[in-house]
Amino acid sequence: MKFFDETFREIFLSQIVLLIGGLIAGTILAVYTDNLLLIPGMLVLIPGFLEMRGNISGSLAARISSGIYLGFINPYGKNKRVLRGNIAASFFLVVFISILLGVLAYLFTLIVFKTPYPEIILISLLAAILANLIEIPLSIFFTFFLFRKGFDPDNIMGPFVTTTGDLTSILSLLLVVAIL
Amino acid sequence: MRIKKHILTDLRTSLRKLSLIKRRKHHPLIHKIHQKHNLSKKTLLYVKEYGPHSNIPKTIIKESLRVLLLTSIVSSAGGFTLESIKALFLSIIPIVILLPVLNGMVGSYGSIISSHFSTIIYKQGLEKVSLKNKELRNLFSKILVISIAISILAALIALVLSISQGFEFSSAIALKIILISLINVIALITLLFFVVIFAGSYFYKKGEDPDNFLIPITTSIADFGNMILLAILVLIFF
Repeated sequence: MKFFDETFREIFLSQIVLLIGGLIAGTILAVYTDNLLLIPGMLVLIPGFLEMRGNISGSLAARISSGIYLGFINPYGKNKRVLRGNIAASFFLVVFISILLGVLAYLFTLIVFKTPYPEIILISLLAAILANLIEIPLSIFFTFFLFRKGFDPDNIMGPFVTTTGDLTSILSLLLVVAIL
Repeated sequence: MRIKKHILTDLRTSLRKLSLIKRRKHHPLIHKIHQKHNLSKKTLLYVKEYGPHSNIPKTIIKESLRVLLLTSIVSSAGGFTLESIKALFLSIIPIVILLPVLNGMVGSYGSIISSHFSTIIYKQGLEKVSLKNKELRNLFSKILVISIAISILAALIALVLSISQGFEFSSAIALKIILISLINVIALITLLFFVVIFAGSYFYKKGEDPDNFLIPITTSIADFGNMILLAILVLIFF
């Protein structure tokens, strides 16, 4: 049993990709601390928000990848029924979970710190929709693209979705906070 | 040719029946068609879940909602601890930069350990899966080496980035940041290994597929544990 084998290399490379994405997201958080993290409840919202993005887009990419391999989804764009169903479900889940996350953040700041800040629910919802508008087409496009180029999307889409998901989520939160 | 036509008609009828059945765990029809037509169970599961008669969004929402609710609540609960020490936490810029890195890193190790454990248990059987199992020990060593290297690298880059944000650097603070990153990752990976072995063996014994339970469990533990441990380490070191 070799130590520095293919598994070691694959895990190491995926961690490097995650590291780069995470550091960019973390730097944005640090730079815009005043705009973002000082908002009451934002530290409660952010971990769940990042988690939701990764979970929903990750499952979407995995389902599309399985569908392509099994011949249910055409990677050249025909027979879009399964694809449309997946997109609709992902949108619903994002809307529902983002409202829940916003409510949890609001209730925590209200109960523990006696700071009512209901805007956090709207911030969570709008940022999630905005991030979804970028992340879902990106996940679908890259799953198809990788398959067409002869790669196995299952090996690449996990770290890719987590990395891009963290970035789009943080940028969407910033943009929504700036607009509101 | 006649035989082929007969087989095809038979297969179509079976797949149609499968696509019409209501969602139920391990429906016996899947096993029957798998045996008779030599089609993979994954293909048959896909026909059942997303076939022409199924409502795809409803199926996905129904299956994903519980796990997503659980992970969202657990992640928010972890966030509560950080919100409680907000002022201190935000004053240590390298830790703010490290937060998404550590979250993603520990969560992904949870998924890697879970999927490898499931493969090992299916390949070698439950009786050979223990803390002494060679393959599991090898995986643990690999993940430990990678995580130590990545967490030190992450802490160093976070320190460099935070200096450019005006963070006051000193060797004592640098050492503390590296230690926080290291202790956090090593402790959580060790915990995840124990959880995967014991919970995975339990679900396998019960006749369930460990894949369906281990990833949500480890991801939740990783998220929650990461933020709790990070908050505790920040309070201890600063």
